[in-house]
Amino acid sequence: MATTFADQLRALSDEALGALIQLRPDLVVPLPADISALAVRAQSRGSVARCLDGLDEFTLRILDAARLSRSAETALTSMAAILELAAGVQADDVRVAVDRLRVRFLLHGTEDALQVTGAVDEVTSPYPAGLGRPADYLEPQTAALVADKARLRRTVLAAAPAARAVLDRLAAGPPIGALSRDTMAEPVRWLVEQHVLVPITEAGRAPRPDGELVELPREVGILLRRETGPLGELRPFPPLPETTPRDPKSVDSAGTGQVMEAVRSAEALLEALAAEPAPVLRAGGLGVRDLRRLSRSAGLDEPGAALLLEIVYAAGLLGEADAHGSSRSVTVSRAGAPVDEIFLPTGAYDLWRALSIAQRWHTLVRAWLSMTRLPGLVGGRDDRDRPINALAPEAERAGAPQARREALLVLADLAPGAAPSADEVLELLSWQAPRRARGREASHRDALAGGALLGVTAIGALTSYARLILEDPDEGDESDPLGVRAAAAQQTSDSVRLLDGLLPAPVDHVLVQADLSVVVPGPPEPELAAELDVVAEPESAGGASVFRVTPASVRRALDVGYTANDLHALFKRRSRTPVPQTLTYMIDDAARRHGGLRTGSAGSYLRSDDEALIAEVLADKRLIPLALRQIAPTVLVSPSPTSRLLSQLRDAGFAPVAEDAGGAAVLARPKVRRAPTRTSLAARLADQAGPPVLAGPRLAGVVEQIRRGDIATRAARRAPVTVRAANGQSTTGLSSVQRHGEAMAVLQQAVRERARVWVGYVDSHGATLSRLVRPVSLSAGYLRAEDERTETLHTFALHRITAAVPEEE
Amino acid sequence: MQSDKTLLLEVDHPDARACRMAIAPFAELERSPEHVHTYRLTPLGLWNARAAGHDAESVVDSLIRFSRYPVPNALLVDVAETMDRYGRLQLLNDPVHGLVLRGLDKIVLVEVAKSKKLAGMLGARVDDETILVHPSERGRLKQALLKLGWPAEDLAGYVDGEAHDISLRQEGWTLRSYQQEAVDGFWAGGSGVVVLPCGAGKTLVGAAAMATASATTLILVTNTVAGRQWKRELVARTSLTEEEIGEYSGERKEIRPVTIATYQVLTARRGGAFTHLDLFGARDWGLVIYDEVHLLPAPIFRFTADLQARRRLGLTATLVREDGREGDVFSLIGPKRYDAPWKDIEAQGWIAPAECVEVRVTLTEAERMTYAVTDAEERYRVAATARTKLPVVRALVDKHPGEQILVIGAYIDQLHELGEYLDAPILQGSTTNKERERLFDAFRDGSLKTLVISKVGNFSIDLPEAAVAIQVSGTFGSRQEEAQRLGRVLRPKADGRQAHFYTVVSRDTIDTEYAAHRQRFLAEQGYAYTIVDADDVLGPPLPQID
Repeated sequence: MATTFADQLRALSDEALGALIQLRPDLVVPLPADISALAVRAQSRGSVARCLDGLDEFTLRILDAARLSRSAETALTSMAAILELAAGVQADDVRVAVDRLRVRFLLHGTEDALQVTGAVDEVTSPYPAGLGRPADYLEPQTAALVADKARLRRTVLAAAPAARAVLDRLAAGPPIGALSRDTMAEPVRWLVEQHVLVPITEAGRAPRPDGELVELPREVGILLRRETGPLGELRPFPPLPETTPRDPKSVDSAGTGQVMEAVRSAEALLEALAAEPAPVLRAGGLGVRDLRRLSRSAGLDEPGAALLLEIVYAAGLLGEADAHGSSRSVTVSRAGAPVDEIFLPTGAYDLWRALSIAQRWHTLVRAWLSMTRLPGLVGGRDDRDRPINALAPEAERAGAPQARREALLVLADLAPGAAPSADEVLELLSWQAPRRARGREASHRDALAGGALLGVTAIGALTSYARLILEDPDEGDESDPLGVRAAAAQQTSDSVRLLDGLLPAPVDHVLVQADLSVVVPGPPEPELAAELDVVAEPESAGGASVFRVTPASVRRALDVGYTANDLHALFKRRSRTPVPQTLTYMIDDAARRHGGLRTGSAGSYLRSDDEALIAEVLADKRLIPLALRQIAPTVLVSPSPTSRLLSQLRDAGFAPVAEDAGGAAVLARPKVRRAPTRTSLAARLADQAGPPVLAGPRLAGVVEQIRRGDIATRAARRAPVTVRAANGQSTTGLSSVQRHGEAMAVLQQAVRERARVWVGYVDSHGATLSRLVRPVSLSAGYLRAEDERTETLHTFALHRITAAVPEEE
Repeated sequence: MQSDKTLLLEVDHPDARACRMAIAPFAELERSPEHVHTYRLTPLGLWNARAAGHDAESVVDSLIRFSRYPVPNALLVDVAETMDRYGRLQLLNDPVHGLVLRGLDKIVLVEVAKSKKLAGMLGARVDDETILVHPSERGRLKQALLKLGWPAEDLAGYVDGEAHDISLRQEGWTLRSYQQEAVDGFWAGGSGVVVLPCGAGKTLVGAAAMATASATTLILVTNTVAGRQWKRELVARTSLTEEEIGEYSGERKEIRPVTIATYQVLTARRGGAFTHLDLFGARDWGLVIYDEVHLLPAPIFRFTADLQARRRLGLTATLVREDGREGDVFSLIGPKRYDAPWKDIEAQGWIAPAECVEVRVTLTEAERMTYAVTDAEERYRVAATARTKLPVVRALVDKHPGEQILVIGAYIDQLHELGEYLDAPILQGSTTNKERERLFDAFRDGSLKTLVISKVGNFSIDLPEAAVAIQVSGTFGSRQEEAQRLGRVLRPKADGRQAHFYTVVSRDTIDTEYAAHRQRFLAEQGYAYTIVDADDVLGPPLPQID
């Protein structure tokens, strides 16, 4: 190689360099200082890996071919060598793939001297194209076997069916197989004995716990791949789905139905949350039982409800609110504990509700496409086997939006109406970018399921209106954010318009039937929906909706200010069919009873059996400040408190009597102000001054106790010097060990003689104490002794005892 | 198509008829008020459709074709998946092993075989796909599989039973088209329930089914009077003679080629055991007919489970069971084979058009006070038996001079009051069968114009010329009772007159609430329903009571 990587980059035309940067935008973030820096970055593991992630299966295979065809000495390959390996497919396809690699500088150099960029080997499998290492790299005997082509073929053909199956599996790649620990299965043993398989230990890794590894040498692998070519089966083009395409019209029709359903379900969920807010779990998220309740009330299954909840949350229609700030005074979780936060629809929900169905749907779908959540995880368990709740942090996945987009773009790339099965979509994804698709199957499936629930897809195919949303070019994101945003807005409005056209037109009339059901034969206008919300109970929803007028709903309408005539007019105006007589009758009947009882609050009331007296009070000008109001011939009410009412009436010359809550007259003796009662000081003094009276026996006890204490105190003062000294400074010159031994002897004798002993010891706080006791036993490292003064049995740990001296009589 | 799996059918739409024909096989008619009929998709209905040879594709196609709005994708998928569950298991008569359960899908067979609910019903495993079934457990197994959501296709067939020649004597009358359709539907399906309104000639459907079967038949009816009517009809309309028809009741125990037994005698116990069960095995019955299947008592369900090899026909005016055991009727007797909205048959002139009127009376102050202080349990009785109702009933009777009038009530005291007040005889539970027949005959020949009856009249009495029914009290707004009572006046009138069905209720009491249930039920059946005030009936001046 005459020129270095950097030189080759430097030699590129501006366009080619621009193309490289466009294909590998991460090379210029941050901007490299010069070409050398660019070259270093282009050969870095991270950048190479990122570039490889975006390549399709075929291009990666061709890269494998380039790696395989490198000559051992120069590490160079050539177009010719690559073409030879990929003989099974059109040369042009291979050339295109090689060009793709060269533009990206994963291969560089001239056609005759192609070099694989260094980091490629580091970030890809050590087994290019699923083939093992060459035989002479592995084992000499195998190398010898491989060298003799005829013998190799004979050996392979001689393999028993079981052995052949092992070979075929390894030949399909990866070429490494693990064996169970001790027992090498018969077919494998045979293959190893024939040197067709080579036992290996994995370099750079700890020995595998489950046993040995064997490797299929490259040459054997190529021999076994006779039918497909050395690279295995090559697919230059994406696999085509086999499912029959649907009629795009019926796709849109079914999708539109699902759109209405999704919007309606989202609304039902939020309404259910508004009616009964759910507590936010301490760890975040929505409890399982609440999810179950919500899904039931919205008529969804739980995964569907979880998905929609995640979406409305992402769309900002659902939020957390302080539980105590809500109108309910105390919100209590189902477990009975008070909760701090609850899930409630946000203010944005009300705005959203005023939008058309298509616009509402778009809000949801945009939120879905961009939310970094994987709703499919909800209901499952995390690594620590704890359940994952809806809206909980555990369902967060940063890669979710991209995976979702990938899955949908697969559908968007197919012709309208194409309805691949989920497996086919995954297959396509794994062809398009095998490195990226690995490990994302769950996300992709989740995306497809979500799309079906939202009406983005229907009967397996992408709907026309959803296609419009997806069609904005991804690459433009960074280069021209402003332009893209404008374009995205344009696409959105196109899509809304298209969807609007597909959705049934809103209706402004209803059909009222004799069973008091009200059928709205289509999606109701917002105004009609608002009216029906008040006057009827929803019964069934869908393309049309069914409401039922009940006495309760009529009463509710009367409560919010409708009169019977308003209701008659409302039904007459909205109904396409004659209003049934039963409905009219029921409204009148409800209106007649409505307000039959009246309630209100008043500060006080004034009642009298004498209507004339009441009239007189009402007419008295002096009582106008009381704002009396007659609510019955014999009852007046006033906002003033009872006391004021009483005094004013008395001032005006009436003779009222106050009543308590039970109706009994309250005696109104004039009240004199008093301070709170306190105990007399004199009484307290007398108590203290009086001599305590003690009964005889108790007195004797007290005296005895005092005497005994006194003796003990004096005795303690007489505690022998040795004991006191042992506790303080040593004055006797004996070592502490000697003193301890001496103490043990004293104690043993005392136990035998049941004599009293002064014991010096260190208590658990480190303080040194001495005590006069009568030892009872000495065993198991403890001294048990009786303290006669307190009449208790003490236990001393022997190692804490510092000294013991017999009591001197 | 609604998201809760109901279908709304606009009756006035030009395609409504075609749509009804298309969806009838798999959707249950739930309500049929004047403008929009409601059908419901149930797994049971879908499976029945599957059993009748409709596949998921055709069901989905009908839904899409007739839907005014796009049908949600998820619902279509659900329909297809539900229907796909049917027939994975089959009940077969294996020439070697006898009755077996065969799984076309091994996994499903393994799944159900492991279920605890089937313990004891399945025998030894023959091979991967076949498990023996105890023949006696056929009914219970089917019931249990249905509950597990894997309904079995019953291909084991029916025994023909002892042959007995029966033919219809169509002299001066012919089987109506819908009756023929009902019989055909039943026969094609093997077993099942035919739902026809009262007065639409269910007895004839039974007779025709017997003629088609031409085998010994066991007919189960609600009571002796109903049984005698069956006998009369059969003698008149078929080749059967009096001697060929036996009555198995409390009074007589005859077993003949055609035997009519009452539910009551079958469920009578002596010393804790059902003593008359032998009847089921007394002959090799080729057909079992259940009259008023919605009243089928629970013990009969259990016996029916053992009769799975015989053809079973259920006849009823309504499948509404107050105990909610409709599912058992379906799985044990058979799916609904025929059903026509009452209004359709009325439009064809086979049953009399009826006008339902609710008359609300205002209680007197004293009565209101009594009602207000009554305990909750007694409230309905107090409200329903208010004496204020009496003059209203009288006024209603007077409004229909010369017409046959039934006054129906639930409280004996009230009926006696009414009887005295209207000067009409009373038919109640304690009335002897002989006296009953005498009263009925008198009523039938017109010498008796007004008859006061208690709850015993709810079922199966054939009073052809009753043109007016006035109900004053009932069983807590029971819909089933309502259907039966309405049926009393729906028999076609000789001169095509309109039938009148009055309900007298006390305003502002629990009576009104129960009336609301009935009102909803009748409106859902498509009947015109009006509410009037008692004053409109009585007209001024107000009559003085007492």
